[in-house]
Amino acid sequence: VKYQSEPLRDALAAEYALGTLQGSARRRFERSLKDDPRLRRLVTEWQGRLAPLDALAEPVQPPARVWNAILDRIQLASGRRVSPARRAFWASLTFWRGAAIVSAVAAVILAVSLTTIMPTKQPQQMMVVVMSDEKSTPGMTVSWPVQPKGEPKIRIRVMGHETMTPDQAWELWMVPGGEQKPVSLGLINTAAEQELVVPRKLMPAMNDAWGLAMSVEPAGGSPTGLPTGRIMYKGQCVKL
Amino acid sequence: VADNDAITELMARCALRDQRAFAELYRQTSAKLYGVAIRILRRQDWAEEVLQESFVNIWNHIAEYSTSRSAPMTWMTAIVRNRALDWLRRPNLERGDEDYDLLVEALPDDAPGPETLLGNSRDARALADCLKQLSGNQRQTIMLAYAHGLSHGELASRLKEPLGTVKTWIRRGLDRLRGCMDGKVN
Repeated sequence: VKYQSEPLRDALAAEYALGTLQGSARRRFERSLKDDPRLRRLVTEWQGRLAPLDALAEPVQPPARVWNAILDRIQLASGRRVSPARRAFWASLTFWRGAAIVSAVAAVILAVSLTTIMPTKQPQQMMVVVMSDEKSTPGMTVSWPVQPKGEPKIRIRVMGHETMTPDQAWELWMVPGGEQKPVSLGLINTAAEQELVVPRKLMPAMNDAWGLAMSVEPAGGSPTGLPTGRIMYKGQCVKL
Repeated sequence: VADNDAITELMARCALRDQRAFAELYRQTSAKLYGVAIRILRRQDWAEEVLQESFVNIWNHIAEYSTSRSAPMTWMTAIVRNRALDWLRRPNLERGDEDYDLLVEALPDDAPGPETLLGNSRDARALADCLKQLSGNQRQTIMLAYAHGLSHGELASRLKEPLGTVKTWIRRGLDRLRGCMDGKVN
């Protein structure tokens, strides 16, 4: 529908903003709003004129379940929860809080760059981990194809500017989640771009992992087979 | 009530998919927006649904805010109002009608004037001044319609006036309102 005359357009915009344009007339009007920016402008102006009337509505605190429902609906990675009974750092929700948020944001950005780097005909499903420090600043990213062709490799990009002293080693860990212990993926270095070969039998667990962590270990790697030093970066896995 | 600059900044961060900014945006604005929804829907369960839908909508469309040329609260309130009005448009829906009669009573022709109710910002004073220029019937129908999402038909039966009369009050009232407010801005 085209609303031709300017007074009619303004009158409809006014009643739309007021709320008295209802039923099929309202639906018709909303359809024409979609491709008529000048009509949208008239509505915006009316919404602005009437907005002070919102002061008449008393604020009411909504129940907490509303926010929980909203969060459930907007969260990218959901459904995987860590048992709170476990005290180990890799099973603590607090440890991952923040990392999850950064991951979701940065993974989208990374996904865009990945698709430009890897021009495949069939879009490949990727696992992406954006790993950040305790201030939630991203320091490295790790990604790998869910179904690797050939030797399974993970691709690592180091973006942070942390330095490694000669008596240190940086060890990358796969964190399965829940009660399970981290599994070492090997030592990495400070190079901006690097690759690490992963045993093929580890791939199912990798694709189902909660996240990754990188710890600072003595030269040669952790003496115990589990992280012993400071966790520099960590991040949650996101499937894209 | 949170100030507009802070909310605009939170919205910009939300556009970059910052969920913590979104949580803060919710913390600062949800009570106000829930109040708007409750006033229109007059049922808590419906208002909760509408608030939830609205915030998911806000999150999904927040990048479009920058092109809207609205104040941030106005933009978010418009989303809540539209959701609430859509909700009321569903067939076979019965709203309780106990409490808006009180508002009708509270706003007779010679009411003290909306300026005492709307606050002291420049926009609020302009609207209040202009509402005073309207006839009592025009002012009353416009304020009732906006506050409670009442249709022409509902207004007519509440006010016990013919439908055509109510429509004319609203149309002429809005027309005068625009003339008056444009005069104040320019």
